[in-house]
Amino acid sequence: MTNDIVHVQVKDLRKTYQTRREDIEAIREVQMAVGQGEFISILGPSGCGKSTLLMIIGGLLPLTSGSVAVGNEAVSGPRRDTGVVFQAPVLMPWRTILKNVMFPIESLGLPPDDYHAHAHELLEMTGLGGFGDNYPSELSGGMQQRVAICRALIHNPNLLLMDEPFSALDAMTRDTMNQELLRIWEEFKKTVLFVTHSIREAVFLSDRIFVMSPRPAVISEIVTINLPRPRDLSIEETPEFNQYVAHLRAAIEH
Amino acid sequence: MADNNGDSKIRAFANQSVGPMAIALLLLVIWQVIVIAFGVKEAILPTPWKIIQTIFTHWELLLAHTWPTTSECLLGFFLAVVIGMGLGILLALFPQFHSSVYPLVVAFQVVPKVALAPLFIVWFGLGTLSRVLLAFVIAFFPMVVNTYAGILSTDPLMVRMAHAFSANRWTVFCKIEFPNALPYIFSGLKIGITFAVIGIIVAEFVTAQRGLGYLIVFAEGNIDTPLLMAALTVLSLVGMVLYAAVVALEKLIITWDHGQRLN
Repeated sequence: MTNDIVHVQVKDLRKTYQTRREDIEAIREVQMAVGQGEFISILGPSGCGKSTLLMIIGGLLPLTSGSVAVGNEAVSGPRRDTGVVFQAPVLMPWRTILKNVMFPIESLGLPPDDYHAHAHELLEMTGLGGFGDNYPSELSGGMQQRVAICRALIHNPNLLLMDEPFSALDAMTRDTMNQELLRIWEEFKKTVLFVTHSIREAVFLSDRIFVMSPRPAVISEIVTINLPRPRDLSIEETPEFNQYVAHLRAAIEH
Repeated sequence: MADNNGDSKIRAFANQSVGPMAIALLLLVIWQVIVIAFGVKEAILPTPWKIIQTIFTHWELLLAHTWPTTSECLLGFFLAVVIGMGLGILLALFPQFHSSVYPLVVAFQVVPKVALAPLFIVWFGLGTLSRVLLAFVIAFFPMVVNTYAGILSTDPLMVRMAHAFSANRWTVFCKIEFPNALPYIFSGLKIGITFAVIGIIVAEFVTAQRGLGYLIVFAEGNIDTPLLMAALTVLSLVGMVLYAAVVALEKLIITWDHGQRLN
């Protein structure tokens, strides 16, 4: 851990799904301690339960046993200090971009007037300054996912949960989005839990990577990425970067 | 730019309308020619020109019967919208309510509502109430079914997103499920308004008190086919205007692209 204040603590987490025929063990045992302001990736093969883990930390799914605490409080449901970005943008087609970004303010019962400036600031920062009054259908997939990021940040959460947010985007857009995400993170220094199955993406973004095994999931390895920050795409050409990638590929395959 | 846009919209509408209007005009001319050429009796089929003349000579009579038809139709439609949407929402939000009530709703939907007209007269008399209620029961089902289906079509991921930002049940309904259902509700409104017109006309046939439906039966009794056709023409115009009003309201409210084309 890069700093001493534990922000997210997962202890002895187990998750089983009950289906009509049998119980499916999705997560066998996960321990995590995430420091304040850390950028953490949860890396694993498809279907390994990494999204399930993230949803449990976000209070959106119940756990079977063990405990999850955020800022020393046990998680029992969605938290007001958490922002979530899903795999799909999940924007409301009937709302303009600005109103989509403002949705958490309404659902949290916060005064909208206090957050309009922040919404404009976030849109400006993600290159969507001129699109506040447009509808989602008028934006590309990458732009829509940027709106989803603005929405997750509007209420100034200190924990950002991202569930494979860029997996639906093409490779070039994805590179751009990763750089932008790091830029935003450098600015706000929130704790980020980022679920991905892309090794390069995880190495590029993270302070530490939690590698998950196939189901039933355990954390098979924790890799600390000692690459200098701020990072840009040129770092992907360095031998250090590629050593991390090779190491993680081996870790996932075994 | 905005003015240009408006202009081009009007021009596009005009371009679209030219074809159908030309064909309609052609059909009317053919009708006129056939009636004259074959010497068809006026009591069987009057010429379009005769119908237009009748509308102008009897405009006071037609207008006097148009108003009750329109107002009772709107009243029945309004009841169907309020009660139908209400029931559709309850069915969608409360699964227990759905499982106990929906089978009854479906069972009642199978009843040909027009056949209830005589029963309504027995129960509620020959007045406005019977006619409004018949329009109501006919327009009611499309409203229930469309509202229900619209709410149920909500993307579960959208609801999960709302929960992630601490939305409660009420917020999810008001800000996610109801707006999501609006395009469906509007297709229900469009079916409902045409059904309400049918309900009123059938009720006017049976109650024989007033209204364009009554006028049609009255004209038929007198073998006054031009008046019958004139009343029919006015009735069609009323139906068109009511439908157009619903479409205009839809355009006003649904400004986003919802990916459905139910017109």
